[in-house]
Amino acid sequence: MTESFSANLVHFVRYLRARGLSVVPATARDLATAIGVVGLDRRDDVYAALRSLSVVRPTEMQAFDDAFEMFFGTGQVRRGEREGTEVTARTRRPAETTRTAVPILTPGHTDAADEPEEDVTEITGGTYTERLSHRDFRDLSIDEQEEVRKLIARMVWRPADAPSRRWAGTKGGSRPDLRRTFRNAVRPEGDLLPLAMANRKMRKRPLVVIADVSGSMERYTEMFLHFVHAAQGRLGRVESFVFATRLSRITRQMRIKLPEVALSQVSYAVKDWAGGTRIGEALEAFNCEWSRRVTRGGAIGLLISDGWDTGDPALLDREMRRFARSVHRVVWLNPLAGRPGFAPETRGMRAAMPYVDDFLAAGRLTDLRAVVRLLETVGTRPAARPVPHSGAAAASGA
Amino acid sequence: MHPVIPTSVEEVRDALARQHYVADRSLAVVIHLALELGRPLFLEGEAGVGKTEVAKVLAATTGEELIRLQCYEGLDVAQALYEWDYARQMLAIRLLEARHDAGGTEIRDIMSMEYLVARPLLQAIQAGAGGRRPVLLIDELDRADEEFEAYLLELLSDFQVTIPEVATIKAVEPPIVVITSNRTREIHDALKRRCLYHWIEYPTFEREVAILREKAPGISEDLARQLAGAMQRLRDLELFKPPGVAETLDWAAALQVLGHTELTAPVMDDTIGVVLKYEEDVARIREGGVEHVLESA
Repeated sequence: MTESFSANLVHFVRYLRARGLSVVPATARDLATAIGVVGLDRRDDVYAALRSLSVVRPTEMQAFDDAFEMFFGTGQVRRGEREGTEVTARTRRPAETTRTAVPILTPGHTDAADEPEEDVTEITGGTYTERLSHRDFRDLSIDEQEEVRKLIARMVWRPADAPSRRWAGTKGGSRPDLRRTFRNAVRPEGDLLPLAMANRKMRKRPLVVIADVSGSMERYTEMFLHFVHAAQGRLGRVESFVFATRLSRITRQMRIKLPEVALSQVSYAVKDWAGGTRIGEALEAFNCEWSRRVTRGGAIGLLISDGWDTGDPALLDREMRRFARSVHRVVWLNPLAGRPGFAPETRGMRAAMPYVDDFLAAGRLTDLRAVVRLLETVGTRPAARPVPHSGAAAASGA
Repeated sequence: MHPVIPTSVEEVRDALARQHYVADRSLAVVIHLALELGRPLFLEGEAGVGKTEVAKVLAATTGEELIRLQCYEGLDVAQALYEWDYARQMLAIRLLEARHDAGGTEIRDIMSMEYLVARPLLQAIQAGAGGRRPVLLIDELDRADEEFEAYLLELLSDFQVTIPEVATIKAVEPPIVVITSNRTREIHDALKRRCLYHWIEYPTFEREVAILREKAPGISEDLARQLAGAMQRLRDLELFKPPGVAETLDWAAALQVLGHTELTAPVMDDTIGVVLKYEEDVARIREGGVEHVLESA
């Protein structure tokens, strides 16, 4: 292999990296080795070989194909490699530069993540925050909103544990740990065999959030996204999605530490802010594409919506049933629920209610605190769901 | 014929074909690379596109043993790597006690290879230490927990196992490793980086006909084309669970058993359960009329 060819592979790898693939510099050497094995006679062989070492998920295929076309487009290695890398720098998409993006900071911005966590009980002592926490989000002034955002970022989360399927040695466990028992027996004077015990390891339940960002939710959306962001920072395994007319996954964006940056990235990524509401279709998209991937391990499903659905109630019924089957518990947050005289009477709410385990208000800070408390106490077994009709009862298997 | 490790893309393709596996060229290239570079093969794709089959076919081709590790939630080292044979250890202790010589050195013998139960990963490395190159199939890795993935990463980088009480066992040649995942969750990039990644697509119409001709030789060319056409259309319908190649073959077998030589609307209606496994999907197809799936077949 010629030197310029090797150099070209290095540029190729850099280009892939700039396009968001998780290749490392050492990949270039692997690519060279692979070409040494398959030869340069057939372009499709070179393509398959390079792809197997560059791509690690189907969503990266398109970026790889483009890059391959650019570097090996004519069946020969292109000479102007330098050009290629320059183009890279210019064509970087904003979504891929998240780490270096300059945050759009609001004037009163503070880095909530760096502040020490304050316990909720302490915060509620103050009278100003006390009053704030009982006001509806849509009635807050800009300064008050900022204050509430900070309080959300500082909430203390102690999510409930669920038993995993793995075992760990503990005194007084429920099952004998024979491996440890016998290892102990090898010690000198090990004539007695004290039985070592093991219990199931505990782990945090994953949380799946699906939030409505349609027009009717507009005045609450930002607070909820802050709330979801705070959850993501504290709970670890959180998957988040938003929808109006279609579903978008925002987990990646929500992992960015600064809430302002995270939210501005979300606003980039989501295309249908403040559109109409199609809860049923959003849930269908979730159930088909994501459910099996993100609800493992007894996830808690958190739906945030006012239930003003413009879609087909029969579809919502079917998809809620499916959703309820795949998560440990369905929690529905409705910003309107705390208002006097509220009843879940919208068409959408009526279709969804039979599958909801916990229905909570979420229009005020104090409501969100109640949600955090609920997540702490969610038991190890699913709540008894009210049974809507025979189909769902048989399906939930409870 | 004497089984050997194929040494070119063409040889891999021919070897797969002899085992009745119809592969597209890119898969053959990646398998060839895996054999030459000694890297694990990481296969992802929808259920039923023939991921597991690749390992079986490779074992048959190379004439080596197929060692299979089926992953599941909670899979741990005791199930994947090794476990002590406690019952025999207990008996040995009793025996020593009865002979009144349960002293220092002999009781240590109960922690030797003799009392070890080798699980798939250790079996593969032991075979490798003996100069063989078995096919190690780690099936549906996405079902195991992340903790196990981390462990596997370590194992796949140097193909050696340390059993603290006994010894370190190292494979002379790395086994041929095939890892499959249905993508029910993302496997960590670091693990995939150690492997050659290949996404197995649903077959094209022509390839599916070829697969049917190869694996279901009892059916006619016309029926094979009808079945493959219906499958292509079913997969375009955004079903909750689109059918894979495994379902196509099941369908062909079902029609053969029932003595049908043509796929008509009533036949399809009777046998749809072979292909679609969700009640919602079946209802959807019946609602729209099964004829649509057969159209122009």
